[in-house]
Amino acid sequence: VKILILGAGAVGGYWGARLTQAGIDTTFLLREKRAEKVRKTGLVVKSPKGDAVVPVKVVTKGGEGGPYDVVVLACKAYDLDSAIESIAPAMGPNSTIVPMLNGHAHFATLDGKFGAARVAGGLARISGMLGPDGEILHTGPSGVSFGERDGKPARPSLVELDAACKKAGIDGGINASINQDLWDKWIMLSTIAGMCSSMRGTVGDITATEDGAAIVLETLEESRKVAAAEGYPPSDKVYSGLQTSLTTKGSKAVASILGDMEKGGQAEGKQIVGDMLARARKHGIAAPNLRFAYAHLQAYEARRARGGLK
Amino acid sequence: MKVLILGAGAIGGYVGGRLHQSGADVTFLVRPARHEALQRDGLVIKSTKGDITQKVKSITKVDQPYDVVLLTPKAYDLDSAMDAIAPAVGANTTVLPLLNGMRHLDVLDVRFGAEKVVGGLARVGVAMNEKGWILHTSPFAAISFGERDGKAARPVLTELDAAIKKSGVDGGLNPNIVQDLWDKWIMLCTLAATCCLMRGASGDILEADEGREIVLETVDEGRKVAAAAGHDPGDKGITTIRSFLTVKGSKFAASMLHDLEKGAMVEADHIVGDMIARAKKAGIATPNLRLAYAHLQVYMAQRARKTAK
Repeated sequence: VKILILGAGAVGGYWGARLTQAGIDTTFLLREKRAEKVRKTGLVVKSPKGDAVVPVKVVTKGGEGGPYDVVVLACKAYDLDSAIESIAPAMGPNSTIVPMLNGHAHFATLDGKFGAARVAGGLARISGMLGPDGEILHTGPSGVSFGERDGKPARPSLVELDAACKKAGIDGGINASINQDLWDKWIMLSTIAGMCSSMRGTVGDITATEDGAAIVLETLEESRKVAAAEGYPPSDKVYSGLQTSLTTKGSKAVASILGDMEKGGQAEGKQIVGDMLARARKHGIAAPNLRFAYAHLQAYEARRARGGLK
Repeated sequence: MKVLILGAGAIGGYVGGRLHQSGADVTFLVRPARHEALQRDGLVIKSTKGDITQKVKSITKVDQPYDVVLLTPKAYDLDSAMDAIAPAVGANTTVLPLLNGMRHLDVLDVRFGAEKVVGGLARVGVAMNEKGWILHTSPFAAISFGERDGKAARPVLTELDAAIKKSGVDGGLNPNIVQDLWDKWIMLCTLAATCCLMRGASGDILEADEGREIVLETVDEGRKVAAAAGHDPGDKGITTIRSFLTVKGSKFAASMLHDLEKGAMVEADHIVGDMIARAKKAGIATPNLRLAYAHLQVYMAQRARKTAK
């Protein structure tokens, strides 16, 4: 299987480095600056599963070396439009896109551009970040999962991708209920991102206030109702697990969006919180807490746009 | 009429300085370092209404009662402020606090007796710099005060009114002081709650899809609390507050947000927490203020943790 990965951040970089190490035909599609760096130094991975410096194949145009069997999108949600432009020339009639973005908004866009048949579902559980020198600091789990969104048996290229992941020591692989898992992750993310950003604190900080835990649980419930209305209610087990983990006293868990905001960077507010709120509206579900969180994120963007952040 | 002013900071320094300049008998109760500086350099005012450096009376300890005691502490310093002025409050003393919100009045009533405490409100853009200079930057400078029960002003307030008018500070006696305190509190509470919860200036909030609705709902929460206390601002009062808070593109932000971004103490309990407490007592729902107060509580806990380190 011939794989193209757009982006060499924590998710794409870690995954692709391990695939390359395992001898899988993997190519990175990167912006000029990042490409130059990676060509020079290789991908530098620091990980509890072993540090490595991995020379990798890099292209800066989707047309180079294509078409590919699998095109992995490992970018931020707000970069989706430019990512679509970049990968378009890499796509053949039998190529499959595996997007690793959070939320659900990207599917409509990708389906519209490439046709739903060429778009699979994907979900990353790789935690890490880029170090100051572009190195991949991998900290926690290293799972990716992907599958058909209609729940049918996986197409051959995904089966091959699954085998490649297993060979490379990446957890996860083919996931028969990828849509459900995407929704489960999204209701968690919309809650933690909405709360940590609008309260500017960790889960533990929020839970320590008078009404903090109640506010978090209400927000989770708002998202749960949306997931249910869309046909993907979380199982009781998943839901009670989220209720517990999002209200754990003293928890240092925090949404990465808060880190982005504290650096004055771009935030995935629209895709993670805004789209959940929009779907709540569509289904007539009251979502007062998500409404506040999204207003906070929009006020942040407005202030950022006028240069008003310190 | 002998006036004691607690502190010689921004508002107290400006008002006291103008009163002294116009011949009123004013004494500043200050910390030893400030006392030394005042005695050495005088009280320096740089103002849109004219600069002045003048000798003033200052003391570090009170040894007699005064006719009027004016205090302008931050709400979270009220307890220590009361301790400091206690020896100056005699049987016929009037205590005039210039604080936002309402809770300080209850606290002062308990400590000194309600009959000694009048209502007061300051409207002046003034700050103190690191040299201790009073920098008055706004085109206006006003304080107003009056009896909280709406009855005719006691003689000493009438005297103070005359002194204020002579000093060139605007305002003076205000027969509607309690209503004005409520009106200002509703405005401030909304501004502080929304600017802090959204971490932005008034105009930034209005850029969010529902920012305007959120601001107006928050005004309404405050209005209901005021109405339950018998002080509905009326349509005209509410219109003024609403228009002030919904100016597109406004870079105006609550001073609480500035304090918060500096990592300083915030008057959250006094300005937002107390509004919620009164709402609860009256059975009024305040969902917007609730979220804002949770945000402020997160901040205060984080700050306490940092300060403890």
